[in-house]
Amino acid sequence: MIRRARPFGSGGLLVYLLALTAVIITLGPVVYGALGGFRSNEQLARDPSGLPDPWVFSNYTAVLTNEAFWRYALNSSIIAVITTVVAVMFGVMAAYPLARYQFSGREPLFMVFVLGLLFPAAVAIIPLFILVTRDLHLANSWWGVALPQAAFALPITVVILRPFLMAIPKELEEAALIDGASRIGIFWRLVLPLSVPALVTVGVLAFVASWNAYLLPLLLLQDDMRTLPLGVADYSSEHSSDTAGVLAFTTLAMIPALILFLAMQKRIVSGLQGAVKG
Amino acid sequence: MADQGVATSTAPPTLGEATRREQRRVAPRPVGGGWRQRLEIAFFVTPALALMAVFVVWPVVSAVRMSFDRWKGFGPMDDFIGIDNYHYVLTDEVFRGAVTHNFIIVFASILIQLPLGLAVALLLDRKIRGRGLLRTIVFVPYVLAEVIAGVVWYQLLQPESGVIDALIKAVGLTPPEQGFLGTPNLALATVFVVLTWKYLGLAILLFLAGLQGVPTDLYEAAQLDGASWWQVQRRIAIPLLGPTIRTWCFLSMIGSLQLFDMVWILTGGGPANATTTMATYLINQGTGRHNYGIAGAASVILFAIGFVMALVYQVFVLRRDTAVER
Amino acid sequence: MRSKTRSAALAVLCASVLTFAACGSDDSSEESGGDTTITWWHNSNNQPGMGYYEQVAQDYEADHPGVKIEISAMAHEDMVDKLDAAFQSGDIPDIYMERGGGELADHVDAGMVRDISDDASEEIDKVGGSVAGWQIDGKTYALPLSLGVVGVWYNTELFEQAGITEPPTTMDEWYDDIAKLKDAGITPISVGAGDKWPAAHYWYYTALRSCPEDVLKEAVTSLDFSDPCFEKAGEVVQDILGADPFNKGFLTTKAQEGATSASGLLATGKVAMEMQGHWEPGVMQGLTDDGKGLGDKTGWFPFPAVEDGQGDPTDALGGGDAWAVSEEAPDEAVDFVKYLLSDEVQQGFAENDMGLPTNPAANGSVKDPALAGVLKARDDAPYVQLYFDTAFGASVGGAMNDEIALLFAGDASPQDVVDATQQAADAEQ
Repeated sequence: MIRRARPFGSGGLLVYLLALTAVIITLGPVVYGALGGFRSNEQLARDPSGLPDPWVFSNYTAVLTNEAFWRYALNSSIIAVITTVVAVMFGVMAAYPLARYQFSGREPLFMVFVLGLLFPAAVAIIPLFILVTRDLHLANSWWGVALPQAAFALPITVVILRPFLMAIPKELEEAALIDGASRIGIFWRLVLPLSVPALVTVGVLAFVASWNAYLLPLLLLQDDMRTLPLGVADYSSEHSSDTAGVLAFTTLAMIPALILFLAMQKRIVSGLQGAVKG
Repeated sequence: MADQGVATSTAPPTLGEATRREQRRVAPRPVGGGWRQRLEIAFFVTPALALMAVFVVWPVVSAVRMSFDRWKGFGPMDDFIGIDNYHYVLTDEVFRGAVTHNFIIVFASILIQLPLGLAVALLLDRKIRGRGLLRTIVFVPYVLAEVIAGVVWYQLLQPESGVIDALIKAVGLTPPEQGFLGTPNLALATVFVVLTWKYLGLAILLFLAGLQGVPTDLYEAAQLDGASWWQVQRRIAIPLLGPTIRTWCFLSMIGSLQLFDMVWILTGGGPANATTTMATYLINQGTGRHNYGIAGAASVILFAIGFVMALVYQVFVLRRDTAVER
Repeated sequence: MRSKTRSAALAVLCASVLTFAACGSDDSSEESGGDTTITWWHNSNNQPGMGYYEQVAQDYEADHPGVKIEISAMAHEDMVDKLDAAFQSGDIPDIYMERGGGELADHVDAGMVRDISDDASEEIDKVGGSVAGWQIDGKTYALPLSLGVVGVWYNTELFEQAGITEPPTTMDEWYDDIAKLKDAGITPISVGAGDKWPAAHYWYYTALRSCPEDVLKEAVTSLDFSDPCFEKAGEVVQDILGADPFNKGFLTTKAQEGATSASGLLATGKVAMEMQGHWEPGVMQGLTDDGKGLGDKTGWFPFPAVEDGQGDPTDALGGGDAWAVSEEAPDEAVDFVKYLLSDEVQQGFAENDMGLPTNPAANGSVKDPALAGVLKARDDAPYVQLYFDTAFGASVGGAMNDEIALLFAGDASPQDVVDATQQAADAEQ
C-alpha cells in the first residue's frame, strides 16, 4: 500500500518533544547496557550512570573470542530454525482447509487452535518435561526443545494465517481447479507462493519467540547444548563480579533478534496489517 | 516460554471475523467427492493436530491428572485425594493474592497501555521526520528476550547503586528506602512499568497497522467540514480502530493472565508475595516445594479463568464487531 | 555447597523436575568374573579434588585386588539432576552423596538406601554428632564427609572503625554493635531475603537458641510445632528486624549473585556482617575482581545467645554431604565408604580445601584460620541442627521459608510462621 500523507500532517514542536521522550525511554535501558559493556567494572562502580571514559573494548572482544558464546549462538539458531520451519509448515497446512474448505466441524476445529492460545506453557511444563526426557528421549537435544516450541507456536500461526488465506481471490483457485489441478497441487503452486508475506510474518514471530525462550530450554538443555538466554543467565551468575562483561555478553546476545526484526520489519508490519484489517 | 512471546505478539483470534470473511470470500466447494475432501483435509490438518496433541494436549491432560493426586514428583502417582488440592489452592491467601495481581495487570494494561499506545500511534501516524525510524525504535523492547530485558532493568532498579535511584536523587526527590522492587506497595506497579516498556511497542505497531486501513478520504472530508485534528481522531480514527483495539485487548488479557518470565526475573513473586502471579505460584508449588498436585490444580484453575474470560470476551465484545458489519 | 543464585535456583527447579524423569540409560554396575565393580558419583570435578579422589580410588584398588572403582565426577547441579533421574529409574550408583533430612527419608522409604548402622559402627562413633542428619529411627544411612555450620561472617576493619573490640555473644551485645555501626555510618548486616533461605536461617537459629534440643529432635520426626518456643523464635527475629540492621532493599536482595547480593555487599566492604554458611569465603572470592574476597579482614562468630532461650548457646545450625550406599550395592562399596572416612583420606580432603572434614583426626589439616574457627565451633557444639528446610523436606521447608520471608517483610506474625509450617506438615501425613 502506498501511504499518502494525512491531512493535519506535520507535527509541531510538542510532537517532536513527545517523540524524543518516547525514544529516550525506549532505548535508555538498551543503550545503558550497550555502553556499560564499553566501561570497566571500576568505572561502573564509581558512577553507575556515567559514560565510558576511557572506552574499553576488552569486554566485547572477550565475549566474541569466547568459544562458548558462539556455541550458544549456534544452538539458538538451529533450534529457532527448526521451530520456525515446523511451525510455519504445519501451520499453513492446517490453516489452508480451515480457510478454503467448507465442511461441517470446521469452526470447532478452528476453535481447537484458538483454545491452544489459552494454554500457557507453564501449565504443562512439568508433564512436558517428563514426556520429552523419559518417553521421547529427546532431553538435551535441539529437537527436544524445538518440537514443543513449534507446537505452542502453532495456534497463533494458524490464527494469523487463516484470514490471509481466506483473502486469496477465489477466482484463481477456481481457474486452477478447472485446469484440473489437485487441491494439494493448488496448495503448493498457488497458495504457498501467494501467502509468502504472511508466512514471513508468522515465521519471524516464531523465530524471535524461540530465540528468546527461556523456561523450556532451561529445563531441557545442559552444558554444550545451552542457548543464548541460558548462556546470559549462567554467564551473569558465573561472572557475577564482572558486571561490564555481563552487560557486553547481554548486548551481543540481543543483536541477532534485533537484526532479524529490522530486516523483516516491513514484512512484519504488512503481515500484521493483513491480519488486523477486517 | 515460546508461546508466551508469540501469544502476546500478534493478531486476532476472533471467530466472528473469520466467519464474516468466509461468507464474503470463500468459494463454495463443488459438491461431490466427500471422502476425497475429507482425506485432503486430514492430510493438511493432521501434522499440526498431531504435534499439538503430543506436546500441548497430552501434557495438559497429565497436569489435570496430577491435580487430583498427592504426588511429590517421586515414585508412582497413586495417592488419589479428590479435590483436596483445589480446596487448598482456592483457600490459599497467596493464590488469591496472585489472582488479584493478575487481574490488576489485566485492567492496568487496558486502562494505561491502551490510551498510551493509542496516543503514540496517532502521534506517529502523521508526517513527521523520522517516522519510520521512530516506529522501529518503539518496537525494539518487544524483540528483546524477557530474560535480557529483565536483567538490565534489575540493574537499573537497584537501590543505591542503580541508575533510576541516581536520576531521582538528581532531581531532588527521595527514592524509596527499600528500592522500587523491594517495597511491597511499589513492586507490582514497578513490574507493570517494565512490562509497559516491553510490550507497548506491540500495541503501537498494531494500532498503526490498523490506522493505515482508515481511508484518507474520510480525513479529507472531515477536514473540509472544519473538524479539528482531535475531532477527527475521536470521531473517525478511533472508532474505525475498534476491531484492532478489541483484538489487542484480548491478546493483552491472555498475556497478563499468563504473566511469568518478567516477574520471575525481577522479583521472583516477592517482596512479601506482592507480585506473585498464578504462574509463579504454580512453579513455586511444583518445582520449589514438590507439591505437584497443588501445582496441577493451580494450572487447571489458571486455564479455567483464562477460558471463561476468553469466552465472555468473545460473546460480549468481539461479537459486536460481527454484528456491526452485518 | 548450598549455593543458590537465581539461576542456580532455576537449576534446582530443573533438578527437582528431573526427579520423576527416568532417563533411559541402562548402565548398571555389573559383576563379571570374580571382579567387583563399584560405581561412585561425586561432585569434586575440579582440581585438586578430582585428582585426589582418583588417587584415593587407585590406592584402594591396589589394596583390594578384584575391586574396580568406576568414578563419575560431575558438576554439583548435574550430579543432583542425574541422581534424581537415577532414583526414578531405580538404577542408582553404588556410592553417591545424600544431603540428609526429608530427601533421604523419601529415598529410604522407597527402599533404595542401605542401612550401614552395623557395618560402619566404628566410623559412626568417630564422626559423632555430625551423623545425626543422616539417621532415621536410630538407623544410619550415610556417613557425612563434610559438615559446615552457619555463623556470622564480619569485616574486622569495619568493626574496628565502629569501635567494636569483641564479637558479640548475646543478642543485647549484638544490638549494641549494630547501633555502633549505624552511628559510624556503616550498614550493619546484609541478608539475601529475596532468595528466602538466608532470611529463614535467622529463624532457624533463633529457634535453635529458643527451643531445647529434644523439642527440636522431636519436631523433626513428629512434625509437631506446638511448643511455644517456636513462636518465641519468630519474636526474636522481630526484635532483630526492629533494630533495623539490614541493607536497603533486603527483601529482594539475592544471596550470592553479583556485587549487589548479600555476599557481594560483604565482600566489597559495603556492610559489616552477613550470616552465612562455611562456604562464604569461597563465594566472596568469586565476587571480587581480585579473587580474594575479604581476605585477611574476614572474621567469624557464632550466632549470639538468646536471652531466656532454652537452647544451648553453643548448638549450631548446619548441613553437609554424606556418602550413601545403595541397597543393591556390593558389600565392598560399604568398605570403600569406610575407607573414605578414614583418618588418612579425610586429612587429604582437608588439606586440599575440599570441605570441613567430619573425622576429628583431620581437624588439624584445615589450614584457613577462619575456617578453622568454624570447624571448632562445629566440634564444640553439643548438637548440630540440620537446616530445617532440608530436615523437613521441600514441601514443609518451602512453606516455612516463604512464611519467614513474610515475617521479614512485616506481613506475618511469629504465630503465622508456626501455623503455616504446621499446616504444610499436616498435609504431609
